[in-house]
Amino acid sequence: MKILFSFLLLLSLVSCIEISDDITIKNDGSGTFRYKINLSESLVKVNSILALDSLNGKPVPSKAEISAKINEFVRLLDAQSGITNVLVEENYTDYIFKFSCDFTNIKQLQDAIRLTIEQITNEKYPVGAEQYWLSWDGTTLVRTIPAYFTQQIKNFKFEDDEKLKTGVYASITRFERPVASFENKLGALSKNQMSVLVRTNTFDLKNNQHLLDNTIVLTPR
Amino acid sequence: MPFSWAQLKSIQSEQLLPKDAVTVFSINNISLLQKISMDELVNYEFMSEVHQELFDGSTSGKTLKDAGLDFNQRLNLFYGKTNTHELTGFTFGVSDRKALFEVFDDFQNLESDIPGLAVYGTFFNNLMIKDNVALLIRIEPTMEHIDEVTDSIWFARGNEMPFDFFDDQISPDPENILDEETFEDNPNTNIFPEATENPLVKNYYELRDSVQMMLQEAALSAVIQEIFVQGANLYNTDTRFAAQLAHQAEGAFYLDNARNLDKSQGLWYFQTVLPTLYKDIQELYAGNVILGDLFLRDNQIDFEVDALYGPALGSIYQQMNDARFDKRVLDYIPASSPAYFTYNINLQQAYDQAFKVLLPLLSDEKNAQIAMNVLTLELLNEFINKEALFDTYKGSMFGTFNGIKKVTTKKIEFTYDEESFEYEERETETQTDMPIFTMGFSTARPDIPELILKHMGRLTSRIQRFDNYWRIDNAILDAAPLYIINTGKLLILSNDEDLARFHSKGYGKEALGNKASKKAMRSGFMYGKVDVTQTLDRFPTEVLTPRNAEIVASLKGKSGQLELTSTETDAAHTRFKLSYHFEGQEAPGKHFLDLVNSLYVIYTLNP
Repeated sequence: MKILFSFLLLLSLVSCIEISDDITIKNDGSGTFRYKINLSESLVKVNSILALDSLNGKPVPSKAEISAKINEFVRLLDAQSGITNVLVEENYTDYIFKFSCDFTNIKQLQDAIRLTIEQITNEKYPVGAEQYWLSWDGTTLVRTIPAYFTQQIKNFKFEDDEKLKTGVYASITRFERPVASFENKLGALSKNQMSVLVRTNTFDLKNNQHLLDNTIVLTPR
Repeated sequence: MPFSWAQLKSIQSEQLLPKDAVTVFSINNISLLQKISMDELVNYEFMSEVHQELFDGSTSGKTLKDAGLDFNQRLNLFYGKTNTHELTGFTFGVSDRKALFEVFDDFQNLESDIPGLAVYGTFFNNLMIKDNVALLIRIEPTMEHIDEVTDSIWFARGNEMPFDFFDDQISPDPENILDEETFEDNPNTNIFPEATENPLVKNYYELRDSVQMMLQEAALSAVIQEIFVQGANLYNTDTRFAAQLAHQAEGAFYLDNARNLDKSQGLWYFQTVLPTLYKDIQELYAGNVILGDLFLRDNQIDFEVDALYGPALGSIYQQMNDARFDKRVLDYIPASSPAYFTYNINLQQAYDQAFKVLLPLLSDEKNAQIAMNVLTLELLNEFINKEALFDTYKGSMFGTFNGIKKVTTKKIEFTYDEESFEYEERETETQTDMPIFTMGFSTARPDIPELILKHMGRLTSRIQRFDNYWRIDNAILDAAPLYIINTGKLLILSNDEDLARFHSKGYGKEALGNKASKKAMRSGFMYGKVDVTQTLDRFPTEVLTPRNAEIVASLKGKSGQLELTSTETDAAHTRFKLSYHFEGQEAPGKHFLDLVNSLYVIYTLNP
């Protein structure tokens, strides 16, 4: 838990961060979830922090400890029902971390992530928090950010909020058939009509954690 | 003859300082502080240990003057640590008890069996008033001492190890055992012992709480006896301190380094495993005291410090400081530099003297590890070409902080094609803020670093030779290059590209002016200057250890210049002077307290 906390603390000190979540949903409800964190623009800051023993009184995790925690997450997630092909790429030269997994259906993906977080943090999912942040009925996808993460973002005191404006969060949703409509005004539709991209800066996201919420309706099969 | 309070015609606040105080700040002209509000005062770190009950609104809108303090007496802040407890607080004169208790309104009157002594207490602190002087003190037994006494009683009562219950319920992972959050945050683990069935029998933690309270009371009682019955206080027991207070200065500073060493927990290994060596180290440090005067002058506060040491340590310092200033370093300090220092020592003489003084101490020790270390040292001393070593690094050095500059680093950018938002990675350049540091030292053997760099350059393409400098790519935090300039007389390391490319022969007219150069040259073995606003306000404190961050934070938000000079060094002492020149209309008392506070933080956190 300490290592996880320290890693989150480290992220909070790094303002120039690029995050991308990318979910592909097939017609049968199965799909692939990909998540990428890019800290390469904050290379100097990350390296200077990792060179320390402690930061604001908390121990700074070593690269080996971060890697061990990531691998533990992968191992736990891989063991969850409905989850396969869990892959993680850790690039400690540019500080880019990529994660992907396949899922049988959206409910199992969400349950698996929730259970893994509970196991790795030894904490129960916050009482009252909505357990599901994605819903899919075969034609309409409703997505939000998990309450667990919005709470974390809210609680974190970032070193320099203004610099968060240079950070980017991109949320991509891909389908096997064209999109008929979507609600989020920040969204853009790909030329092939089958992907929706919502992009914002991390400053705006911190102030409004519902900026990426979207309801996407597909054309009938 | 036993001490009698009546013998003293007029007791002063400094005569209430406990003899175990190791660090003391004594503010003489406290009328300077009349306009300081109590709210401002309690925000200083030096008040943090004693201010809980002052922070409850009773100070609101009040100044020190309203608090009933006697401005004809000194205000003395103290901190001390013995093997069994820590003590902190301040002593002061009282002119109006009624006004005093309007501020110290949480104190309860306690019983006192010493005639004329009024004792008051809160949960944390105690206040003692005798005639017109007061001592506000907090005493905390050290954790080690509490544990030692508790364990002793616990085992004497026939109990088992108090921590056995951990084994059954917690995994033996040592990281988890230290993880207090895990224990305390989870109410279901139930790992702490229940209260015993018999309410008269205490469990380990109840016993520990009782021991802590008893030790605290015993230590407080001992201090009261010492000061108010036996008349033993720091002023009487250390003549150097008493002499310091006789100076005509706005403030005085006292730090007994020898006693600090004695109580240093970092030396516990020597104390317990190598007691004779520890005794030798104690002797080496005997007489090591730092005494200082604080003078308030026009828009300037001078802190004049005399560091005293014993003959053995003094002989090393004397040899070390017997060095000629290398004027060439001044060419590489730009006049615009917000912070710089020069340091001038004779490393070879210091080494020779230290070898002469320290080696016999180590050689006498009958310990296998020490004996091997001594043998290694002696062999190295014989085999190493000391002349080449000390000619390569001659001991004169300088350092500058040239502000924060943008440096070019590479970053990876995520891009998405318009057709399907498929993702790609693209390498681009970005500008990153980086503090620019330069450090250099004089050398008489430029061929040696050149030799190292030449051979290292063959091993990796990251090291490249340019006309006047070497560049090592990604040497700074795996992101920015380090430049090495070898002038033949100086070896300079910097992350400043501008210096390497355009000023490898020095800054010329842009270097320090004559006046500033002369100051640095005439300043003993060290000189330093800091523009507080430009340097400390921009310093990223999160990269420091919590202790050092607190020191820097205590100086943040201030304006003006700090200048450190050393004026005199011999076998008995070294004199330093720290001048704080401030600008603006703020009351000098405020600046004075700011500086006292910063010094307090430095000396109490990093003894």
